Amino acid sequence: MKLGSYEVKLEKKVRVTGWEATTISLLAILTGLALMGLIFLQDGVHPLTGYRAIFSYAFANQFGLPLTINRSIFILLCTCAFIVPMRAGLWNIGMAGQLYGGALVAFAVALALGAKGSQNPTLPPGIIIALMMLGALLGGAVIGAIPGFLKGWFNTNEIVVSMMLNSIVFWLIAYMIKEGGPFMGGGGEGEGFKLSESIYPPMALGGTFTIPIALGLAALLYFMFAKTTLGYQIKAFGLSPSAAKYAGISPHKVPLLVFILGGMFAGLAGFHYFAAVPGVYKIPLNYGDFGDLSFYGIICGLISQGNPLAAIPIALLFGGLTNGGRFVQGQLQLGYGIDYALLGVLMITLVAFQFFYRNTIVWKKMEREP
Amino acid sequence: MWEFAARSLNASTIFTIAALGELIGQRSGILNVGIEGVMLFGATVGFIVAKTSGSYLLGFLAAIVIGGLIAALHGFLSITLGGDQVVNGMGIWILGFGLTAYIGYPYTGPLGMERIPDLAGLSPFFFLAIGLVVLTWWVFSKTTLGLRIRSAGESPSVTEVSGVNVTRTRYLSVVVSGMLMGLAGAIYSLDYNPVWSINFLLGWGFIALALVFFSMWNPFILFGGSILFGTLWQLSLNPQLILPGVLSRYIWRTVPFIITIAVLVLMSTKWFSSRWGAAKPEALGLPYKKE
Repeated sequence: MKLGSYEVKLEKKVRVTGWEATTISLLAILTGLALMGLIFLQDGVHPLTGYRAIFSYAFANQFGLPLTINRSIFILLCTCAFIVPMRAGLWNIGMAGQLYGGALVAFAVALALGAKGSQNPTLPPGIIIALMMLGALLGGAVIGAIPGFLKGWFNTNEIVVSMMLNSIVFWLIAYMIKEGGPFMGGGGEGEGFKLSESIYPPMALGGTFTIPIALGLAALLYFMFAKTTLGYQIKAFGLSPSAAKYAGISPHKVPLLVFILGGMFAGLAGFHYFAAVPGVYKIPLNYGDFGDLSFYGIICGLISQGNPLAAIPIALLFGGLTNGGRFVQGQLQLGYGIDYALLGVLMITLVAFQFFYRNTIVWKKMEREP
Repeated sequence: MWEFAARSLNASTIFTIAALGELIGQRSGILNVGIEGVMLFGATVGFIVAKTSGSYLLGFLAAIVIGGLIAALHGFLSITLGGDQVVNGMGIWILGFGLTAYIGYPYTGPLGMERIPDLAGLSPFFFLAIGLVVLTWWVFSKTTLGLRIRSAGESPSVTEVSGVNVTRTRYLSVVVSGMLMGLAGAIYSLDYNPVWSINFLLGWGFIALALVFFSMWNPFILFGGSILFGTLWQLSLNPQLILPGVLSRYIWRTVPFIITIAVLVLMSTKWFSSRWGAAKPEALGLPYKKE
């Protein structure tokens, strides 16, 4: 294409440096936020006023900040659940089902050990909490294992399978907490039972104890990809499953393994929000909202290009945006679902910006013809 | 009993039309996993236009147009920018999910228009669906256009050499495919279940996507599969009609999804592909750049 005396050409990129990736990601986020600004304008709110209100509630308000942090940790865990299969070239969009699975097993443990409502559990609280966490990891892993196993052994499309599982576990929870299922709360309010007060998990530095755990796990995941044989095998599989096969990496086991690991992260996200965040301690009526929120894991995973450490600040940003977005809806009289709109607009912007990871725009001054 | 069968066939109408759309796109080599998002756009925009204008016709037209436009966006990302079609499709799905939640929310609730007349419980769209199945089969097996689309999906470079513009052919297929998905969404929101709520398709698009793989890219098998899924879906909504007292309705809701997974696995086995032949378009999901 010619522009004035320049010729503009696209060239394939061989590799993207860290700086380039960061710049592209930042540009993508800014473009997404600018596009969202149009929606603010359409609602009669100046975008700067809108964003100022969102950020000040999310990051500089004594009620908003803890919520932001809890959401961010949830999103970070969902991002890790997306990243592990992503590094192997597989798409996990089943974080919702996996986190519900984690929550179901964690609450099953609490129920079995008599930690329902005002009852006094039979075992010491520390042991029950630890068992519930293990249960959450197991529940997430089992739901995650299904698309992984089917991919590895039958080459079944993991996107459709994990999406189907989201719906399956969604209705399973509805049965458990609503229609005569064993997890029903008291008074038929359509919620899961509340955990016994004695097993409310401990707080660390004013936050839930799952915060340092999630941050540590993200660091561990980074280390796994950077330094370990397992990380190398997953990455090699992601680059070329057939070449990996010749290098002795099992094409059956890698999908299963990455989906189990991913499911465990999502399961922990379920434990975090339903069993460790103050004021919740149950499977709430609006549990579907958390399934929707888990899709931010896809966005964070794409922006961070599969780097779990880079995902931490991005998860914090989106935790704040969704939390603040929901809050300012009423304050600024924005339409309901502004946080959902943000999710959609950001996602498509990021997808479009993937182009710049693969191509460079080259400007060449054309020689003047004599 | 007939009432149940008619409701099932009405449900299968939506699966059929959406999945035919996906099939047409896939035949040209473009995979759109964002079918649920395109349907959500069609369902929501169709609902809003019909509700505000009082005209079903305008509602359906708007749904068809928005479906075509959203699919064209997927086409732009996948054909022109040559991006990963799976990632693009996920983008389309989440865009649809997020934006329709926002723009549709003020219209939450019933449509409040006189219902579209039916024939002994059968929606007129059921007959349209049958017509579209036959038409799609005819176009793909009997016409030059069908041959061009199929060859763009099998071997785009050879197609280009023989004088067919692959980019244009793929765009055409993708836009038509989106128009059908948008229409299917509007049939859901204007005819089958005319009440708007957030994310009200609840995975129908993903079932339609699975149906295309199930159909081995054959419109008639696709139609049979749609009837199976329509029946299962209806059973999950009203289990008491057929099997009173057996399992909770919430457990029944999981059944269509479980069967979908089972069917997908069956189709992925070596036994199935060797017995039924590999009908999958050779270049499905692969970007094509003219040299």
